[in-house]
Amino acid sequence: MIKVVLFGYSKTGRELAKLLKDDEYELIIIDENPHQVAEANSDGFFARHSTFKDDTLLFESGIGEDVEILFCVSNDDSLNLFVTLSARYIDKDLKILTLIYKKEDEKKMLLAGANRTISPYDVGAIKAFRIIDKPKVSKILNLFALQSNKLSISEITIPKDSILDGSHFNNIPIFKENNIIFLGILNKDIEGNFILFSKETDYKIDGGDTIVTLGSKTNIKKFKQEIGVK
Amino acid sequence: MFAKLIVSFAYFLDSSKSYKRAEDFAYDLLENPKSKIKPYFDSLIIFLVLSTVSILIYDISHRITYHFEMIENVAVSIFILEWIGRFWISDNSKARIIRYHEKMIELGLKPSAGNIMRTIFLQKLKYVFSPMSIIDLLAILPTYRPLRILRFFLIFRLLKVFRYTKSLNSFFKVLSDKKFEFNFLFFLGVFTIFISSTVMYVFEGTGNNPNINSFLDAVYWAIITITTVGYGDIVPVTLGGKAVTLVLVSGGFLILVLATSIVTNALSEKIEIVHENKILAQANKISHLIIVFGFGRMGQTLASELEKGYKKFIVVDKEEANIIKAKELGYLYMKADASQYSVIENLVFNNDVERVVITTENDALNLSILLTIKAENSNIEVIVRSNSDENVKKFKIANADYVIFPYESVAEMAVEYIGNFVNFDAIDSILLRNSSITLDEINILDTNSMIGKSISQIGMEELSIITIAVLKNGKMKNFIFNPDCENYILEVNDSLVVIGEEDNIKTIKKNITRQLA
Repeated sequence: MIKVVLFGYSKTGRELAKLLKDDEYELIIIDENPHQVAEANSDGFFARHSTFKDDTLLFESGIGEDVEILFCVSNDDSLNLFVTLSARYIDKDLKILTLIYKKEDEKKMLLAGANRTISPYDVGAIKAFRIIDKPKVSKILNLFALQSNKLSISEITIPKDSILDGSHFNNIPIFKENNIIFLGILNKDIEGNFILFSKETDYKIDGGDTIVTLGSKTNIKKFKQEIGVK
Repeated sequence: MFAKLIVSFAYFLDSSKSYKRAEDFAYDLLENPKSKIKPYFDSLIIFLVLSTVSILIYDISHRITYHFEMIENVAVSIFILEWIGRFWISDNSKARIIRYHEKMIELGLKPSAGNIMRTIFLQKLKYVFSPMSIIDLLAILPTYRPLRILRFFLIFRLLKVFRYTKSLNSFFKVLSDKKFEFNFLFFLGVFTIFISSTVMYVFEGTGNNPNINSFLDAVYWAIITITTVGYGDIVPVTLGGKAVTLVLVSGGFLILVLATSIVTNALSEKIEIVHENKILAQANKISHLIIVFGFGRMGQTLASELEKGYKKFIVVDKEEANIIKAKELGYLYMKADASQYSVIENLVFNNDVERVVITTENDALNLSILLTIKAENSNIEVIVRSNSDENVKKFKIANADYVIFPYESVAEMAVEYIGNFVNFDAIDSILLRNSSITLDEINILDTNSMIGKSISQIGMEELSIITIAVLKNGKMKNFIFNPDCENYILEVNDSLVVIGEEDNIKTIKKNITRQLA
C-alpha cells in the first residue's frame, strides 16, 4: 500500500478521493475546515481535522516517514503554499502535487517544493478547446470512456530483471498478446519528455524505464503481472 | 371582386420564382447587411453623392458642360431607382395581403379591398416619411426643374453618406435617449432668448440704437449673444440694454455648459451600448463564430488557446475586471448579463454561431444560458462547465453536447501523475506534455485507393503513427479497439483514430489525397 495524504477536501479533493478509493492506496484525508471533514466522512471516507500549521501536525499524519505522495488541493492558495513548503522541508523525496487557481502562483509553488502544479480551470479550458479543435476525436474519446470495462492509459515502470528489460522496441509480441497498445516511453532523464513508439527506431527498454500503455483495465493488470510488476 | 383580384395577384407573386429572385436581389443590394454586393453598391452611391455635390459647388461660379449634366442625370436616376427599390421592399405587402386573407377566411368574412388598400397605403406612407426616406427624397427633389430654386438642398445628399455609417445612427440613438433633458434645455433657451430680446427691444428698439430696427433684429442679437458668438454688429447702448446683456451672457453660458454635460453624460452612459453595437456588427460578418460565456480563469485560458488556433470568438462577461482583461488582450468582448434573453438572441441567434462554450462559476447561470440556446436552436453545439458533480447529469438532461467538470478532469490528471489507471480522457493531458504529438482522425473516403488495403500497407508504420481504433463505416457504435494492422482491411467511410507526430499525420493525410488525384 502506498500512503497518500490528501490535504483539503475541496471539489478537486473529493474527485481525487473517489479515484483513489478502491485502488492500492492508503488514503489520509486532512482538512482545516470541520465542515469539509464532516462532508468527507459522510461521503464514506475517513477524514481528520488538522490545520497543518505546525510541523508536528505533519509528522502526526506520517509525512517524513512512510507517506509517499502529498496532494495539496485545499481551496486556499496560501495554505497550499504553506503546507507544500513545510512538507518539502521535512521530506526531500516526497512527491508533492499542488493545486493552483491563478497562473501567477505556479512559479511560487514550484519554488516552495511542489513537483508539479495543476489548475482545474486550465485543464477544463484545454479540454473545451480540444472539443472545438477536434470534435470527432473528442466524441470518440467520450465513447471510449463510456465502455463498461474502461479503456485507460497507464504508466508502468519496468522492474529490473523483467522479461521486457533489455528488449527492443521493434520486437515485443507481449503487447499484442494482451490487446494493449504500446504508446511509448517517458524519458527519466528529462521531466515530461515522451518518446513515441515507432517500429523504425531501435530503442532498447531498460529496467527502471516507464512505459505508457493503452488498454482495458483487466488487460493491463494481466500484462503487469506477466512482466513482473508487483 | 376587386379584393379577390388583389388577393389572387398576391398569391401569384408569392409563388412566382422570378419575382422572389428579384426581391431577394433588391434586398441583398440595398438592405441585407450580410450580402456581398451591398458594400460595392454603397460605395457607388457615396461616390455619386460626393461627385454631384462637387459639381454643384463648381457650378456656382462656372458654366457646367454637357458631360457634367450627364453625370448629374445618371446619378439622379440611380438615386430614384434606389429609392423606389427601398420603397418596394420596405414592407412585404403581398405577405400582408395573404395573411389578411387567411385571417378573413378563418373568421368567415369577406376580404374588403378598402381594408387591404388602406393598410398597405399606411405602411408605405410610414416608409415615405421615415427619416431615411426623407433624406433620400431631399437628395432627389432639387433636380426637378421647377424646384431649381431648392438647389442648395442638394447639399442634403451628403446626408445620404451618413445612411451608411452605423456609428452615427447609434450616436443619434444615444442623444434621443436624453430627449427630456434636451427639450428642457431647448425651452429654457427659447424662453431666455424671447425674454431678453423683448426687453432689449423695449429699451433700444425705439430709436436709441440705430442697429435695432425691428423685433427680428433684437432676436438676432439675443441669439448671437447667448451662443457666445458675439459678432459685435449690434451692441447695447443704453444702461438697461447693457444689464440685459449681462444676464443673457451668463444665462447663455449656463445653457451651453448644461448642453455639453448632457451630451457627454449620455455618451459615457451609453458607451457600452455603442461598443455592443460595434461588436454585434463585427460578429455579423464572421462565420463559424464561437461564443465564450464567462471570462474567468477557464474562459481566459480557453480564449488564449482559441487565439493560438486562429479561431474567431467573442467573450461575454458582466464583471468589469474580466472585461478590462479582455480589452487589454485585444479580444472581441461584450459586457453583458447573459441571463437576459436579448443578449443571447443578439449574440447567438442573429449570427452564424457554430459553438458556444459556457464557463462561468455559476451553475444556475450556465444552465439558463444552455437552455435558452437549446430551446431556440438545438443545432448549435454547446460545451458547458459544471461546477459540481451532481449538476453534470442535469446539464446532460438539458441537452448539452459536452459537459466539462474541471475538478474531475484535474483529479484524473493528478492520479495519472502518480502512475495509476486513469480514464481514457486523460490521454489528452499526457499528450499535452509534448505538443508535437497529437490525437487525430483519418477518414477513408470512397474515392480513395486506400480501400482494400491493410493499415500497415498505407504507410502508417513508416511514419510511426499508432492506430488506436477503427470506426467501421465512420459509425461511433462499431469501433474496433487496437485493430490488427496487418490484417484489417480498410473499407469505405472508415475512420481511423491515430496518435502520432503532427507532421507525420499531415503527411499521411496528404498522401491519401494525392492518390485521390
